[in-house]
Amino acid sequence: MVALERELREPISPPPSTITADAIPLALRRRGASARQVLALTFVGVLTLALFASRDLPSWVGGLGSGPVVDRAQALATQWDDRMASLGLTRPHDALRALIRRLLDAQW
Amino acid sequence: MLFPTLGFLLFFLIVAAAMAVLGTRFAAKKTVLVVASYYFYAQWDWRFCLLLAGSSALSYIAGQLIDRASDERRARTILGIAVALHLGLLGIFKYFDFFISSANQLARLLGLEHEVPFIEILLPVGISFFTFHGISYITDVYRRDVAVCRNPLDMLLYMSFFPQLVAGPIVRAAYFLPQLVRPSTEPIPIGPALLLILSGLFKKVVIANYLATGLVDPVFSAPTSYGGPDLLLATYGYAVQIFCDFSAYSDMAIALAALLGFRFPANFNQPYRAQRLREFWQRWHISLSTWLRDYLYKPLGGNRHGRWKTYRNLFLTMLLGGLWHGAAWKFIAWGALHGGGLAVERVLEPWIGRRALSPAAKIVATLIVFHFVCLAWIFFRAEDFAVASLFIGGLASGWGDGVQQAGPFVVALIVLGLAGQFTPDALFDRAALAFARVPSWGLGAMAGVVVALINALGPEGVAPFIYFRF
Repeated sequence: MVALERELREPISPPPSTITADAIPLALRRRGASARQVLALTFVGVLTLALFASRDLPSWVGGLGSGPVVDRAQALATQWDDRMASLGLTRPHDALRALIRRLLDAQW
Repeated sequence: MLFPTLGFLLFFLIVAAAMAVLGTRFAAKKTVLVVASYYFYAQWDWRFCLLLAGSSALSYIAGQLIDRASDERRARTILGIAVALHLGLLGIFKYFDFFISSANQLARLLGLEHEVPFIEILLPVGISFFTFHGISYITDVYRRDVAVCRNPLDMLLYMSFFPQLVAGPIVRAAYFLPQLVRPSTEPIPIGPALLLILSGLFKKVVIANYLATGLVDPVFSAPTSYGGPDLLLATYGYAVQIFCDFSAYSDMAIALAALLGFRFPANFNQPYRAQRLREFWQRWHISLSTWLRDYLYKPLGGNRHGRWKTYRNLFLTMLLGGLWHGAAWKFIAWGALHGGGLAVERVLEPWIGRRALSPAAKIVATLIVFHFVCLAWIFFRAEDFAVASLFIGGLASGWGDGVQQAGPFVVALIVLGLAGQFTPDALFDRAALAFARVPSWGLGAMAGVVVALINALGPEGVAPFIYFRF
């Protein structure tokens, strides 16, 4: 009853007609996945990245901070990169880096 | 903690694992997201978390008080005080030294010897964004556009949700808070989200980074060393760089939110294809331009009080929009140029607004708008006003010297960045739907390979996003 005694305020302005459109439209949201599938995707993505981007792994690990744990992880990342290089998985990375260097050096 | 880093990838892996384990326990999920968001923010400086929590508490309490206000006048007073407190925090942390510096310059001009000392306060990352979130919430509660938030956890998450915390998009309370009331029953749009992440990474890591290091930074740091062609290409380069940098962040933020089960609003829609400056602002940083429209332009009177007041309101809105970007006169000049441009466009409305444009006229209109936007970007990017003036002066000279800095690769990146403005929307939709048909492990493997390729194509290390400093 107390609520009824209060003077109810009128809406000041009409509700915004379109606040903003969804970035991902409804038509693209109909097919999708569960949270578990998102986890699976992220996990597989990280593993694949570790296989094919091992060249930069030591510097990425170094970017996590400093201390004995990071130092140890960095040493492991370097060993991992050597292993991937021996398997030939770093070749696409090296080839692309060489290509980019040539493109950057190109002059008119 | 930047999105394209190993640290963020591991952080997201843990958050995704928590979301998967918690299943349908929505309150627990929201708690995890709040803790994760504060951890994410603490990576810059843990003290910033106190400010974020204070800003959230202010919004929450003000919302409650406005909702319980016995009459209109009281509610308006509480709104005014809460907005002033939010703006006060922003003013102290972001603008205090700028105002002191301007006051000291004025004092010197007037021959006064006393100078006010600077406090040299550290600018908290993302303060402009979460302040606008807070103002949006209390204003929406006052306007009855959103129900008052009774759950403090929801308010903490609305203000701190890590995908948008440091560089937007600015998500309205009326848009986001209803998503926190009950969990989404929609499936997670994994295809479009992944496409947004991959395209965002390419735009940031390859296009924006190479344009910055290979052309824009060297030319803007010493414009007098370069001739007209380099200055013009650096201007185009910056237009592409800032689009690729900022839209990349927005794309990744939208995608990360989607992967966690939340919707975000669109923030960019091929802005450089605009044929009118007004249209540019309907396509560029949409969440800011609509925020300014609804919380500044309309309260100022909008277009309801005659022509001259409409022009004044447009100009003031964009001027303050410029100041929002940073505490410097160059941002005010950038805002003034856009405000003036919008006002002039409104003046010319009877002549240019009512006719359907021919294809040739559409091209001319697009070129005019693009070059006007580029002119304004010079002020935005230059170190200060003096450098911007030198830069603009230099554009008219040295055309016989040829190109020194802009090599074929960076010119190709500019062309690629601009071409991306004219791709049909259906292309993205088709690719996203195709992605959605691939099983999640296959998508993960493909994403890993593509990210590895993008990483190999990009320079070593990732520069911070431009909009972090705002």
